[in-house]
Amino acid sequence: MHQILSFVLDGKIQNITFSEHFSPTTTVLNYLRSGNEHRGVKEGCAEGDCGACTVVIAELDVNNKLSYQAWDSCLVFLPMIHGKQLITIENLKQVKDGQSILHPVQETMVSCNGSQCGYCTPGIVMSLFSLYKSEDKPSTLRIEDVLTGNLCRCTGYKPILEAAAKACVHGGKDQFNNEEAEIISMLLEIRKNTESLSVENKTQKYHQPLSKAEALKLRKQKPGAVLISGATDIALRVTKKHEHLSDVIDLSHVQEFKKSGGDVNTIYLGAGLSLEAVKTLVKQTLPALYETLVVFGSKQIRSLATLGGNLGSASPIGDTLPTLMAYDASVILESEEGVREINMNRFVLGYRKTELRSDELITGVHIPKHEPDKIVKFYKVSKRKDLDISTVSACFSLKLQGSTVKEIRMAYGGMAAVTKRVETAENFLTGKTWSREMVEQAMDLIGKEFTPISDARSGAAFRSMAAKNLLLKFWSETK
Amino acid sequence: MNKSIPHDSAIKHVSGESVYIDDMQTDSRLLFGRAVYSSMAHAKILSIDIAKAKALPGVHAVLLAADIPGANQMGPVVHDEPCLAEKEVICVGQAIVLIAAETPEIAYEAEKLIKIEYEALDSILDIRTAIEKDSFLAPPRQMKRGDAETELKKAKHLLKGEVETGAQEHWYLETQSCLCIPGEENEITAYSSTQHPSETQAIIAEVLGLPKNEIVVEVRRMGGAFGGKETQANWIAAWTALLCQATKRPVKIRLFRDDDQIMTGKRHPYLIRFEAGFDEEGKISAVKFEQFADGGCVTDLSMAILERAMLHADSSYYIPHMLVIGRACKTNLPSNTAFRGFGGPQGMAGMETILDRIARFLKKDSAEVRRINFYGMGENNITHYGQEVELNRLPLMYEQIIQSSDYFKRRKQVDEFNSKNEFYKKGLALTPVKFGISFTTSFLNQAGALVNIYKDGSVLVNHGGTEMGQGLNTKILQIAAAELGVSTQFLKVNATNTSKVPNTSATAASAGTDLNGMAVKNAIDILKTRIAGVIAEEFSKKHPNDKSLANDIQFANDMITDTKHPDRNIAFAEAMPLVHLNQVSLSAAGFYRTPDIGWDKATGWGKPFNYFAFGMCVSEVLVDTLTGFHKNLRTDILHDVGDSINPGLDIGQVEGGYIQGVGWCTTEEVKWNDKGHLLNHSPDTYKIPSVQDIPADFRTALLQSAPNPNAIRKSKAVAEPPLMLAFATWLAIKDAVSAVGNHETEPEFRLPATNEVILTSIEHLRNEIR
Ligand SMILES: Cc1cc2nc3c(=O)[nH]c(=O)nc-3n(C[C@H](O)[C@H](O)[C@H](O)COP(=O)(O)OP(=O)(O)OC[C@H]3O[C@@H](n4cnc5c(N)ncnc54)[C@H](O)[C@@H]3O)c2cc1C
Ligand code: FES
Ligand code: FES
Repeated sequence: MHQILSFVLDGKIQNITFSEHFSPTTTVLNYLRSGNEHRGVKEGCAEGDCGACTVVIAELDVNNKLSYQAWDSCLVFLPMIHGKQLITIENLKQVKDGQSILHPVQETMVSCNGSQCGYCTPGIVMSLFSLYKSEDKPSTLRIEDVLTGNLCRCTGYKPILEAAAKACVHGGKDQFNNEEAEIISMLLEIRKNTESLSVENKTQKYHQPLSKAEALKLRKQKPGAVLISGATDIALRVTKKHEHLSDVIDLSHVQEFKKSGGDVNTIYLGAGLSLEAVKTLVKQTLPALYETLVVFGSKQIRSLATLGGNLGSASPIGDTLPTLMAYDASVILESEEGVREINMNRFVLGYRKTELRSDELITGVHIPKHEPDKIVKFYKVSKRKDLDISTVSACFSLKLQGSTVKEIRMAYGGMAAVTKRVETAENFLTGKTWSREMVEQAMDLIGKEFTPISDARSGAAFRSMAAKNLLLKFWSETK
Repeated sequence: MNKSIPHDSAIKHVSGESVYIDDMQTDSRLLFGRAVYSSMAHAKILSIDIAKAKALPGVHAVLLAADIPGANQMGPVVHDEPCLAEKEVICVGQAIVLIAAETPEIAYEAEKLIKIEYEALDSILDIRTAIEKDSFLAPPRQMKRGDAETELKKAKHLLKGEVETGAQEHWYLETQSCLCIPGEENEITAYSSTQHPSETQAIIAEVLGLPKNEIVVEVRRMGGAFGGKETQANWIAAWTALLCQATKRPVKIRLFRDDDQIMTGKRHPYLIRFEAGFDEEGKISAVKFEQFADGGCVTDLSMAILERAMLHADSSYYIPHMLVIGRACKTNLPSNTAFRGFGGPQGMAGMETILDRIARFLKKDSAEVRRINFYGMGENNITHYGQEVELNRLPLMYEQIIQSSDYFKRRKQVDEFNSKNEFYKKGLALTPVKFGISFTTSFLNQAGALVNIYKDGSVLVNHGGTEMGQGLNTKILQIAAAELGVSTQFLKVNATNTSKVPNTSATAASAGTDLNGMAVKNAIDILKTRIAGVIAEEFSKKHPNDKSLANDIQFANDMITDTKHPDRNIAFAEAMPLVHLNQVSLSAAGFYRTPDIGWDKATGWGKPFNYFAFGMCVSEVLVDTLTGFHKNLRTDILHDVGDSINPGLDIGQVEGGYIQGVGWCTTEEVKWNDKGHLLNHSPDTYKIPSVQDIPADFRTALLQSAPNPNAIRKSKAVAEPPLMLAFATWLAIKDAVSAVGNHETEPEFRLPATNEVILTSIEHLRNEIR
């Protein structure tokens, strides 16, 4: 075990020992802004909703090549960037012989009038930079996806879309290519230390296991410690509620949790996979899960957030839950004692309460392969279509025999303290004709099933209406 | 001159080098300030215990109202606004205690140690309750022309109804911030994110009990403002200054996002009741409005906002008989404040609702009904407050946008689509904008500038306006360069500073460029006269028999030239040392006041505006009638900015303003619970438009060949008017909803049209059909 956090910034390996200045739960945003050199990065919300704090993280992929991703630095605890390269807005402009040379994404942002007040701009430029490095001549759809996590109150976005399209035409080539070999060797250098990071001081303990075995051992030893994977939920306790997390187990560096695979019948997804990675993996195989992730948070959020974290939160508005229920998935729970699999329908016990024992971790999910004669669809109703939490969500799966319902599953989020199937309606519809008349009767049963709440997102009546309508919508798209 | 050069800070923006208050370098003595605020909407303060907080290591000051050395007062117009609550709190979010500590974390810790005991009092949390309880900030205001009450009775058709518009959070990306640096003795320099440095200076001086000459306020730039930093930035500055004076150390306050949303005011919510009389064609003869604004707990700018709402109750239409009554309700919510449009949008929402309803009632196309009611050219062109609508662009713009948007063809396509689809409906709408430019408080229409030319020929331009992203400094740069005949690299626009240009008005009412551009021109004119005199004399030295005349001296292309003798010329930069040697000052103050405006608030009659800016918008949406989601399919905008000084920046203002308006009209919902606590206090639940919410097909054009004789370089103000283009989208959604009932029934509707509002309205229509 070692105590020193190492990452690459400004072309150098930075080593940080946690002291009175920085604790392991100091965010990357606050770390950067605490000095005078990196104040280009901005705080707009400290909760992952605005993207003003966007930085780019370059990390080694399986082939030891660098891949670039935009993260919301306000949600990232410092140890999470161990062994990675942190790229900030200050790194994009080059100065050669006293002349400034802008990066192509900066250049087009200037020429297209992409900034007005400029406060969102560093974050937007960093998102565009991540796009520049990962995709050439991206479609408008892709550009919009990358920018969804960056709010701008001034421009109306159009010039920024233009700037993105104009910039990303050089095959990702820029000055970073010249430095890559050097950066890779620095990152490999950091990796040579195969011990895990572990900080224990008077007020805080923070452990970052590198293997499943180490993680399960820590879990057993410290049943009360806070678990984090992507920290997109947990970080808010620090940034918004100013809580002090005294004991943390950070699972973000356990490579075994980031695997995927399966066999003839099932697909396996590791709990530590980022939702962006899951999205790419399941595009063909699990269309409804893909659709769920298209409208899940933003690119920055999905690059951090994990499947395990979404299940671990067990929030009634966790978006993957209804989908996994409709797919009849099961959650894999592991401890030093062994492995067990719990069907999604039985995993969540109550409001943010699950089957998970205090010595267990969620290590993955098994999802039965999509049957060609089954239709599965996910719907999310939220105030804003993108980067918003569900007011109501639903996932339906349907198997028809002719026009008769052979099997139907209807799982709802946002309607009760837990994500919930509507068995009364499912039973009613099974064996009936998949007709509007039957569907409308089933809608009444949905109405009877739930007594939703009124809150900041919507009133209860709206939730009921929308929940019922979603079944009709599903019918209209499958009849 | 009139060309698109990038924002003067664009390169700094994209490199992360533009400095905002929170980015400024400070020394290690910096303290972090925090305001502890009320958790009660209305209550007596029984006790405040700060002992433990004071004792916490790292805490350097804990201040209460009693510790304020000057006046406990921050009201910009009416002195009804305490700086810190003393005996009573009147809204959730009202500041009570100030803390300065070595780190933000220690300040939070200290806050947790403060105990405040309250005794709850009755609170009023919405307009309807305020009306019921007769709770108002001031007596009603009235504007009238003709005899609306009588004419309403005579009209063929009478329409009665009401419409509600919601609050809107500014959501500037940079939250309210101020950094105060103590100087000698009583001096304080405040770096404030404020739209109104002179008033910020005044309020700081007032709470500190010091003359204004001890206080300097400087503004480099704001990370967005939109009206939210016109008066309420003063609060943060006053609190920071109090802590700075108490500790004699640099102090910074940057509001945390949630605190900013909870503490500061929003766009005024409105309840508008109306009666309209009209004929078979849809021509309106008389309208009566009762407008109720939710002013919040103190006056702030509510009365001026109310006035502008009343002045825009006509939208773009000639109403022969019109009566507008305006009332500002007093409630226990944070004081609502300026927001882009300043009441104009709310006033127009009432009239646009009337037009929309008349068209549906008569089963006519709403664009047609709008057209026949537009202000005329040469006739029917006097507003309900007596001002002539000069250079009316409405008929021309209507013609152009109907064509360019293919309106009538698409109307047919929309109807066809709707007849074929049950679950998806399309809607289409055209709406106009006519927005009056000037502060309606006439004396505010003044501005100052200070232009310094240094001996090397470089020029430093100071003016009283502030840069909040709108590109004011870029336009000033262009104006100064054009007036001085030099290229922009000679020039620099300085941070706005109260010690350079004093006693300025807020950068507001869209008038930043109009007023400050003229003041800068005035200063440059003075300098040019002085320089021309010296240079003419210099030229004449070599030609004693054929002297150069100062009047013939021209400034152009970085040269100073005698136009009668073009061979007599000198480079601008070379000329400046000569002027200095001749003991002539190269520094001049400029001033400007808008001429020919005059407005009698008491009678509600006169000429409040220098001119009008016009715009028009056609928007088409697709509504999913099962979820209430809508998609902005295509939006065409035609906007009038006169001769644009910088088309690139102007289009940015138009598109950005429209999208901000779309937010207000659709997803930006502000709700309070029954205790007066704001429910949507972070971007988690408060939803401004994202990149995916802009029109799939977004076409913006500026009206061509329409110079404005009444403003600098024939341009027009642009900041506010485009926000109201969004009514086209709002009413297109309503049109789609209405299609569910085959346009037979007037749908319930309000603003914002969230998917909840849309779905609820659709549900009612469906139930009616059943
Ligand atoms: C801006 C923003 C937008 C968001 N949008 C959405 C959205 O659209 N839909 C949605 O559903 N959610 C959304 N979220 C919530 C959050 O991102 C998701 O719940 C996410 O999946 C959490 O994953 P994580 O890895 O970041 O979780 P973490 O914060 O790391 O952990 C969340 C919880 O899961 C537990 N946990 C994590 N890993 C494990 C494990 N391996 N075993 C056992 N327990 C574990 C943790 O102890 C914790 O209680 C959003 C959050 C933000 C900040
Ligand atoms: S500060 Fe808003 S997303 Fe990080
Ligand atoms: S430029 Fe101001 S928020 Fe984007």
